[in-house]
Amino acid sequence: MANDFELPVKPVKDITPEEEARVAAWINTAEYREKNFARQALVINPAHACQPLGAELVAHGFEQTLPFVHGSQGCASYFRSTFNRHFREPAPAVCSAMTEDGAVFGGQNNLHEGLENACALYKPKMVAIFTSCMPEIIGDDLTAFIKNARQKGHLPKGMLAPYANTPSFNGSYIHGYDAMLQAILETLTEGKAVEGRCTGKLNFIAGFDANTGNYREYKRIFEAFGIPYTFLADISETLDSPLDGTYRIYPGGTKLEDAADSINGKATLTVAPYTTPKTYTWVKDNYAGAHASMSLPMGIARTDAFLMKLSEMFEKPVPESLKAERGRAVDAMTDSHQYMHGKRFAVYGDPDYLVGYVSFLLEMGAKPIHVLCSKGSKKLEKELRAILDASPYGKEGKIYMNKDLWHLRSLLVTERVDALIGDTHGKFAARDAGIPLFRFGFPIFDRVNKHRSPLIGYQGVINMVTEICNKFIDITDDTCDDRNFEMMR
Amino acid sequence: MLAAKIAEVLNEPGCATNRAKSAKDRKKGCTKQLQPGAAAGGCAFDGAKIALQPIADAAHLVHGPIACEGNSWGSRNTGSSGPTLYRRGFTTDLDETDVVMGAERKLLAAVGEIVAKHRPPAVFVYATCVTSLIGEDLAAICKAACARYGLPVIPVEAPGFAGSKNLGNKLAGQALLDHVIGTVEPERTTPYDVNIIGEYNVAGELWQVKPLLERLGMRVLASISGDGRYRDVAASHRARAALLVCSRAMLNLARRMEERWGIPFLEGSFYGISDTSDALRGLARLLVERGAPPELLIRTEAVVAEEEARAWSRLTPFRERLAGKKVLLYTGGVKSWSVVSALQEMGMEVVGTSVRKSTEGDLARIHALMGEDAHTFDSLPGMKMYALLKEAKADILLAGGRSQFVALKAKVPFLDVNQERHHGYAGYEGMVALVREIDRAISSPVFREVRRPAPWEESYLAEALSPPGGERAPSPSPSSSKGP
Repeated sequence: MANDFELPVKPVKDITPEEEARVAAWINTAEYREKNFARQALVINPAHACQPLGAELVAHGFEQTLPFVHGSQGCASYFRSTFNRHFREPAPAVCSAMTEDGAVFGGQNNLHEGLENACALYKPKMVAIFTSCMPEIIGDDLTAFIKNARQKGHLPKGMLAPYANTPSFNGSYIHGYDAMLQAILETLTEGKAVEGRCTGKLNFIAGFDANTGNYREYKRIFEAFGIPYTFLADISETLDSPLDGTYRIYPGGTKLEDAADSINGKATLTVAPYTTPKTYTWVKDNYAGAHASMSLPMGIARTDAFLMKLSEMFEKPVPESLKAERGRAVDAMTDSHQYMHGKRFAVYGDPDYLVGYVSFLLEMGAKPIHVLCSKGSKKLEKELRAILDASPYGKEGKIYMNKDLWHLRSLLVTERVDALIGDTHGKFAARDAGIPLFRFGFPIFDRVNKHRSPLIGYQGVINMVTEICNKFIDITDDTCDDRNFEMMR
Repeated sequence: MLAAKIAEVLNEPGCATNRAKSAKDRKKGCTKQLQPGAAAGGCAFDGAKIALQPIADAAHLVHGPIACEGNSWGSRNTGSSGPTLYRRGFTTDLDETDVVMGAERKLLAAVGEIVAKHRPPAVFVYATCVTSLIGEDLAAICKAACARYGLPVIPVEAPGFAGSKNLGNKLAGQALLDHVIGTVEPERTTPYDVNIIGEYNVAGELWQVKPLLERLGMRVLASISGDGRYRDVAASHRARAALLVCSRAMLNLARRMEERWGIPFLEGSFYGISDTSDALRGLARLLVERGAPPELLIRTEAVVAEEEARAWSRLTPFRERLAGKKVLLYTGGVKSWSVVSALQEMGMEVVGTSVRKSTEGDLARIHALMGEDAHTFDSLPGMKMYALLKEAKADILLAGGRSQFVALKAKVPFLDVNQERHHGYAGYEGMVALVREIDRAISSPVFREVRRPAPWEESYLAEALSPPGGERAPSPSPSSSKGP
């Protein structure tokens, strides 16, 4: 053996072209699907990312707030790339860059030095601190660290510094969103409750929503009602700022004083029951006024319920403009239902979105066949089942909790559907199954301007119907033979 | 363990700067201490994954929580001419229980799953912050997995907290040295066998270069690691010469291969016409020195002359359009100088370049190209980059994706030259593509539109009232609008 550096010669399995072809065919079979679903120790092509990513999105939603990742540097870099690619906007965030020393001695020094540098460099009004894995494993005590930072002058006087524990080995980005939002609100509203004061405003919690078009749509609806509002939190300017030749580190976000005063609001409404349950519970215990938690206004029925809730909370009638819009949305549905009726869909995404997708599809007479969530709960499964069972189009629908996109691939190739609703990560599975992918979720790295097109409200219904039906018509045009190629469709 | 590995990969006896340091400083290596509180680049894990994942037929398993693979799978634009297994995002997705109880058994089972159902020739297993902190013995598990499943299972110990992305590149190189290279003998060898080291085939750049080498009669024994195959990498110790194309990333690998197996290497670049020619000539010379027939040199000159002439004839029309245009360059390592010379060849003016991942050699080259008082900068936070764009009055920024949107806010055209680029820019073909894309970006009418004031702005009236033709008021440049 000519190996001249004392390295053991290892057996390298030669994978023959025949074997490659066999595996390629085998992974499309029902037999493989069974084995795939028995998988235990391994996740393949995950559909979600970690908690701190969600925490960072919340932080971007407040005025002059710097997201600060306490942990090793790579995490912050990944989050930045994710938001850059999805929004095609800058997303400034910093980290404490913990290294091996931090692992041995704890992360306090890194946190302190980091806070001092970041406050000097980025001049925030608030630093939103959240953790990645490293400090969670070594047990950093953020409460004490931040207290010490104040005492030792590492944090400028009066600097707001809410913090949340967002370990990546637990939950997904929606849980990090919840934890950070609650921490920020607790910090901002501390001591701000005034007995008898009412701002007259709606506090609105949209949840982990990376579609800036949705935010603008909510605002338009509130303005049509004449309801003054405070978004908790509003990323629509920060991550979709107008191009005017000036770069701003903090181009928007909810004003801190408005957020502080939200504790004296007239009403608080969340449309993300699965994303912000903790924040909502805390709000119920601490905020003045009425509170409600309802599902995302996606599809006609859920938008109706949303408008009625606003109408009830603020004792205002549904404005004529929105009534007319509903008329146009249902008109769009009747104009195009024949292209969706009976079509079979697979859907995956975050819990609140899944509920929305399934409801919308059923309204159109489409059949959700595979409904998959990579981080779901029994409660979500129950709700989805109830929605499916309430419609004749939902009977065939099966729900898969805590599965990944490799499971989804098995479903798509063994039990055929006509289309997939998801995000960019679904493109490999969709391609292998030869079906179109509708990118309604997060993240979207491979299409432009999708995050500006709202999916909620009546306008959202029109947008989704338009995109889906036209895609099916495109497919007909692209694949039909000459004698069936018609001017009219 | 980890500390010893890091010291090993940073040990560069050939580096003058390193030799001049005290023993203590030398031990620290040449990586800069990360600054807490600043915007950060990728971590060592990211770097290791970037360096090895292009080995396309292998499975790449991330042993860690959802963070590391959930945020990154599928996001490297590296091409494979065959297998697609490297694209599959495998992770053990550790949860709280795993963190408390340990996940070594889970990892072993995960490797078993992969072997049984995806049939790779080898599995790379990546450590992460979590597994290193809870003390998972990756080496031991991989050894056990190797014995149990009868295929190479390679531990890649580059947890994120170890340091920068660049350090991760080096640790990946070390993993190849420790576990892969030299473990397989090639079926045959020729006097024309070369390794390409540090080319990851982003946007298919390897494919712009490989045909050139083949035209010279060279055989790429192994590409480390773009469009790579496990067996080829394992047998790469029989190459006659190597070309190191991203010097900062894999210098340690090339150096050790020279020490162990006597494979001479050349630091070169395929960005730019003359650099490409120099790289081809240099590689040919190394092969001839090692016994290849000297006619290789003549063949090389012939191909170089032909390719250069063809490239220049295709570039001439652009040269007129681009001469005098100002470019700001914000990229790393080898690209910081190789692209400079490429752009200068087009008559463009490079008004500044970054040196953030540059080696001493890179720096020397920058100064040779741009003069001693060259405008160089290290890392650029968004605000500073924005100020620089305004002040330098650059016509275009060439940078990576994360800088893109700051440039666009300044209304400055932008071209992605880092990993999210969609066109390959290597070799003669790539240079033509680069220049074409720069021209497309600079000449896009969109920038005229975005710079033109809206009708309700004061400056609009001035422009509208200026006499047509002749003496027009200068259209507002991006630097005329208000600063932050």
